[in-house]
Amino acid sequence: MADNDIKTGEEAQANEYSRRQFFAGVGGVGLGAMLGGLVVKGFFLPEQVMALPASEGYLLVDTKKCAGCDTCMLSCSMVHHGRVNPSLSRIQITKNPFGSFPHDMEQVQCRQCPAPACVEACPTGANHVSKENGNVRMVDESKCIGCERCVYACPFTPSRMQWNHEDKHAQKCDLCADTPYWNKKGGVGGHQACVESCPMRAITYTTETPIQQEYGYRINLRNHHWGWLSLDTTDFGRESDFTLPVAPVPPAAS
Amino acid sequence: MAKGYVGKILYVNLTDKTTEEIATADYQQFGGGHGIGAAIFWDRVKDKTIDGFHPDNLVSFMTSPISGTGAPSASGRTEITGFGVQQYPIGWFTRSNFGGRWSAMIKYAGFDGVVVQGKSETPVWINIVNGKVTIEDATDLWGLDTHETQEEIWKTVTGNVDVRDWWDAGTIRDGGRTTAKPAVVCIGPAGENLVRSAIVLHDAGNGGGQGGFGAVLGSKNLKAISCIGTGSVEVADPADLMDIRMEMKEKFGFNVDDPKFEAPVPGVPMYGMTTNAPGYASLLWAPQVPARAQGCHGCFKNCRYNLEGGNGNGDICVEGLYWMANGVQADQLKATDLLDRLGLNVYDVMGHSNILALVKMGIAGPGMAIDTEDIPFDKYDTYEFIEKYTEAIAYRKGTFGDTLAEGLTRAWVKWGRYEEDTTTGVLNRPQWGFMEHYDPRLEVEWSYGSLFGDRDINEHGVNWHAHWMPLVTAAVGQAPLMSAEELVTHFAEATGVGDPDGWDYSAEGIYADPKLKAVAWHRHYGRFWIQSMLFCDWAWPQLVAYNNEGGVGATPDYEVRIYKAVTGEDLSYEDSLEIGRKIWNLGRAIWTLQGRTREMEVFTNYVYDVATSAPYFLPVKENGEWSYGICLDRKLDREKFESVKDRFYALEGWAVDTGWPTRAGLSELGLDYVADELDKNGKLGA
Repeated sequence: MADNDIKTGEEAQANEYSRRQFFAGVGGVGLGAMLGGLVVKGFFLPEQVMALPASEGYLLVDTKKCAGCDTCMLSCSMVHHGRVNPSLSRIQITKNPFGSFPHDMEQVQCRQCPAPACVEACPTGANHVSKENGNVRMVDESKCIGCERCVYACPFTPSRMQWNHEDKHAQKCDLCADTPYWNKKGGVGGHQACVESCPMRAITYTTETPIQQEYGYRINLRNHHWGWLSLDTTDFGRESDFTLPVAPVPPAAS
Repeated sequence: MAKGYVGKILYVNLTDKTTEEIATADYQQFGGGHGIGAAIFWDRVKDKTIDGFHPDNLVSFMTSPISGTGAPSASGRTEITGFGVQQYPIGWFTRSNFGGRWSAMIKYAGFDGVVVQGKSETPVWINIVNGKVTIEDATDLWGLDTHETQEEIWKTVTGNVDVRDWWDAGTIRDGGRTTAKPAVVCIGPAGENLVRSAIVLHDAGNGGGQGGFGAVLGSKNLKAISCIGTGSVEVADPADLMDIRMEMKEKFGFNVDDPKFEAPVPGVPMYGMTTNAPGYASLLWAPQVPARAQGCHGCFKNCRYNLEGGNGNGDICVEGLYWMANGVQADQLKATDLLDRLGLNVYDVMGHSNILALVKMGIAGPGMAIDTEDIPFDKYDTYEFIEKYTEAIAYRKGTFGDTLAEGLTRAWVKWGRYEEDTTTGVLNRPQWGFMEHYDPRLEVEWSYGSLFGDRDINEHGVNWHAHWMPLVTAAVGQAPLMSAEELVTHFAEATGVGDPDGWDYSAEGIYADPKLKAVAWHRHYGRFWIQSMLFCDWAWPQLVAYNNEGGVGATPDYEVRIYKAVTGEDLSYEDSLEIGRKIWNLGRAIWTLQGRTREMEVFTNYVYDVATSAPYFLPVKENGEWSYGICLDRKLDREKFESVKDRFYALEGWAVDTGWPTRAGLSELGLDYVADELDKNGKLGA
């Protein structure tokens, strides 16, 4: 259900490229692209093409493990800005309280796209691939002119870019590279506030570029302890496989 | 002003349809939540003998400086205060409380709380968007259930924006955006029909259940209060608050991937009271359909579920246990969903089991003296029964439904059976018309606290450990997780009371002075930390931690640290209890003006006359030895309880003969103006 309205870039539409061709980097404006789970740092392209290195870090969220408590959102805004505001959170949890599980909530994290439309859209280079921060895609606030092209360029719904209406600059998930209000070191190779604060341990961090699929970076982080609580351990979309925990599993030693 | 507060409280005059901003700073000494609500009530309700349906009744929906900050299990709750209409015989100044996300959202929308007074001539709802307040026509919402009402308001406020997308709060780039839908608290048909057990509901299952505030709002023609905001809450030391969250997660949280300990068998959610496992709020039923854990804003436990199908989303405890007679979970949850949608208090209307007793006794039935009309008690184990019963109350259908809509206690009074059935225990309602929650003959900080207060206290901080821990471990065939002696030692230290005998529930212990100190502590801690700072009752206090080395819980160190990290102010634990004592005494003064007397503070007869007959675990000290007793064959002694009143009143600074606050007691708390008002009305304790 998530992210199933991926827009193709303006460039691809104009040149009538298929997505497959686009990702293979054929002609036009090619961007660093990934196939499967391989990490590719850069490859040979025609001269006029710009190749962006892939991020060295990605967030993965187990959509069925999330409890919708918003702790990640509150932590994110707090460690970045020193104040609490879900509108300033770079990870969003969208919820329908009346919804039917598992379609009652979604976790909307930035994918650190191999082909970042938001970076491409930025006219000043404010939104850039940060070499000193493991190639995370992040906004240099001093260069942001407030045009919001990045916000609208994000191909996913909801946009993973935020317009910070209080400090007046665009912002996005930087894997906690710039978190002055935290006693831990963030960024690629460091800690992420959402990962660490999530009470359900539903968010994890990986250095391997995830497979680019329609529904985003889903993962199943639930083990038998979760099932022991009679909660669903099946993969997203496999709810029909749900069974009650009838076979006793030895509990953790007390 | 301390950080955490956003600085203004919205006051709405529903009669004139005008609004006013009250400076939160004027009330900061009362903390938040209940304290601020009671203080504003004191100032603005001149005649404190009116009843809850009077337009001058003032109802507050109040947050705390901690709300919305992500402080662990202290971010999402809202406190409601005002005159209630549920209690019997007098609708005491009372409180309710609900979870979810409303308290956070009202702060992001620019207010520390919303206070309503007066009465609108036509149905209205209050629409708050980033500080802008409009009073909207609710004609099209009137008649809708609580879920429908919220979905309609979402459409009105955020248009056709999908739940998954950003909504622009303004018309310009800098208006702010949010992916959240408005946080709405509303009434259902029961509130509209002035049913005394009507609730307010927020999102799917967060109910402000006690006191009949749904009916109070119905009497004001107020259908809903909706808020949405994109503002920030300032935190004094964000890095410290993050550290606190991480520490609490590691030391006291349940590690869902590798727990330190877990239930020895599956399908026993109530074991989660000891482990802090997610999803334990259902207590007695585990989902038979795919489900996730679900939690309120900023919780570190996440005690509820969201389920396939949506019925039971966000419900806890007795809400989910409303009706289980046919053993089919899907029907059980359908009944709970009906309760939520119509907006009824499970803790009154689940008395259908008491009515069933009358039917079985041949006293009630179709066409009989207590005429159950077309409600099929003979088919009690069918969904048809519970649907007809619930709708009859919400819509006041027939004489039977109309009678029950006055609350089951008043129904019993009308049927002429209240005295008899509360003497035998057929109607087990110990005080103020509230259903028995925990055994009033035994678990006395619960029963004394309820009787000397305004309602069933519903504060579990001691109860989880003193009663439930030995019970759940016995239920799964384990020894208690901690000896009784060790448990009460932790209680004594964590509370600051100092004397473990405060938690001796033996036949002597429940009347002794240490017990009264423990009861007083419970009132003061609860009024400040739970009801004014809005730390969730299902997570705080943490007097004990079974998954932590040494068993030491987070209380009182973490409350104080969280307060400082958010507000920037130093508040000692001792001073926090004094503020709680002040708020408790302000309430006592209001009840005094409402007509409270010492003579009224008695339990119904079964508490004194009927002995306990089922094992009930509580720590007891007998012959100097501590153990978990099963407390059989116990009654509360009338004379000994009167002696309790003498000493408890004295302890709290109230006059022994009347139970009224004294000038000395109030003065000590900076409440001289309260003493003046009592004096003027001839109700100052001597």
